[in-house]
Amino acid sequence: MKTEADYYALFEAYRAGGLADAERTALEHRLATDSALARRLHEFEELTGTLTAYGRRQALRRRLQTIHANMLAEQTPTLDLAKVAEQDERGEQFATGQAPRPMLRISRTEQKLRSFWQGHRATMMVAAAVAVLAVFTTLLGLEMYRNSQQSTSSRYGYTMLRREVERIKRDQRSMNRAINQIDGTTPTERINPGKFSGTGFALTADGYLVTSYHVIQGADSLLIENRARQRFRAEPVFTDVAHDLAILQITDKDFTGFGRLPYAFKRGQSELGEKVYTLGYPREDLVFNDGSLSARSGFEGDTGFYQISIPVNPGNSGGPLLDDRGNLIGVVSGRQMDVQSAAFATKSSYLMRLVDSLSAAGSGRPYNLPRYNQLSGTARPQQIRKLQDYVFVVKVYE
Amino acid sequence: MGKGQPSYTDEEFMAAIRRDDDRALAQLYRLHFPMISHYVLQNSGTDDDAKDVYQEGVMVFYEKVREGSLELSCQIKTYLYAVCRRLWLKRLAEKTRFGGSLDDHEPFLETGAEADLERAEERELQLGTMAQALDLIGEPCRSLLEGFYLLDKSMQQLTDEFGYTNADNAKNQKYKCLVRLKKLFFNQYQESN
Repeated sequence: MKTEADYYALFEAYRAGGLADAERTALEHRLATDSALARRLHEFEELTGTLTAYGRRQALRRRLQTIHANMLAEQTPTLDLAKVAEQDERGEQFATGQAPRPMLRISRTEQKLRSFWQGHRATMMVAAAVAVLAVFTTLLGLEMYRNSQQSTSSRYGYTMLRREVERIKRDQRSMNRAINQIDGTTPTERINPGKFSGTGFALTADGYLVTSYHVIQGADSLLIENRARQRFRAEPVFTDVAHDLAILQITDKDFTGFGRLPYAFKRGQSELGEKVYTLGYPREDLVFNDGSLSARSGFEGDTGFYQISIPVNPGNSGGPLLDDRGNLIGVVSGRQMDVQSAAFATKSSYLMRLVDSLSAAGSGRPYNLPRYNQLSGTARPQQIRKLQDYVFVVKVYE
Repeated sequence: MGKGQPSYTDEEFMAAIRRDDDRALAQLYRLHFPMISHYVLQNSGTDDDAKDVYQEGVMVFYEKVREGSLELSCQIKTYLYAVCRRLWLKRLAEKTRFGGSLDDHEPFLETGAEADLERAEERELQLGTMAQALDLIGEPCRSLLEGFYLLDKSMQQLTDEFGYTNADNAKNQKYKCLVRLKKLFFNQYQESN
């Protein structure tokens, strides 16, 4: 019996063609009949075939490695920049006999950075895009936020006191509805309450009025409404943005005049600590508030304004500020949010100066300012009773 | 290509490689390496990756040409590009770092390279198993077999080298080693299949 190794010797001789004719035909005959032997031969061939292929593959790999190494060695000056940079630093390029070539020098860190960039280019671009988007969104958002802040007319803690009527209108509607439910009567005429409202008061007997500039800012049309719900159409004659003043004139044909004004305008400045009060329309009804003159300068030291310690609300803007003797000393303008009861009023001296310059310009009807103060010496309730017919709601339609 | 080296057309390359012309192989290798290197570097590979992928690609090409079984329907350049591209894709998938599409800077055509590669992979697996079997077989056998089959030494040389008394002894030893290798090889091959 032959061992497997003996068979292998036989196969090798067979494949190498080293068998005698008789032996070969005998083997071929056996291969044709004995399938186990045939399989053994097949395995032997696969084994030696794989072995030689493996050998060839390794030889080829070595050859390619040599080729690659040669190629790198040849291309060193252009390909392996880091090495060249090193060489340059050591100043050895002359020793190798190569002429120094002008070339791009790339340090090792830069090479690393470059490969990093190559690898993460897409990611970084996405990140950059997101960052840019975020920045612009933030900026836009801030801008919008600031705009919305300004539209409520508050700036740096300063609040203008014109009243947004929309909210009140809603309240009124719900109230009307409630009343309807109780009475079962049809609602009274629906009045368009306008978009904003403020307070105004008479400047002359023949139809000039004063209010704050910010009340009528951006107005399409203005309506003046007195305590008896009488309405007059008015239009601005002159505005002074810096001192927050506006002079209106009633344009209705059937308007005859206010009658004689009970108060006089003070041309000088008032003293600190004066008792002052105001009337205004922060709601649908006339509201009285009083306090003292607490400073002779306004918000951030503005000398055109007084600081007064009167609790004022949106809607009080443009209201008259009077002292104890019934002199008109200012026009309520705004308040500071972050300070306890600090309201501001334009000084009447500025109003007077404005009126004087308008008269001097001589356009429109002359300004006949009231000369005599009918209020001095009377008690405050009497003063107010006389005064209340000259204080108006200014309704602004945009 | 300067430096006084001959430049070949694709047909000349094929003919020269069939003759196993070393210079032609080196020439071919140099000619197309920059393309593959650029491609691999563009797609988050390193210089070493480029070298490995390219050498593997060239090996596939070379072996196909030597076997005479390559039917080239396009330029050698395109064939190499297709093979290397495929190989690099596989590598990237193995690294699992790869999530996007690749930047192709050469037109990628249907070259038959894909099918060739599948066969080459099968071959690769076989050769890998052989390498493992050779590692496992142990020392005298390994050197003997490597000497005879890989390094093409004659039996007489090996007899002298290993200190056998005569060539027949060496031969017998070789056959025994072959039997052992056979067992190892077919066991491993079946396992990995």
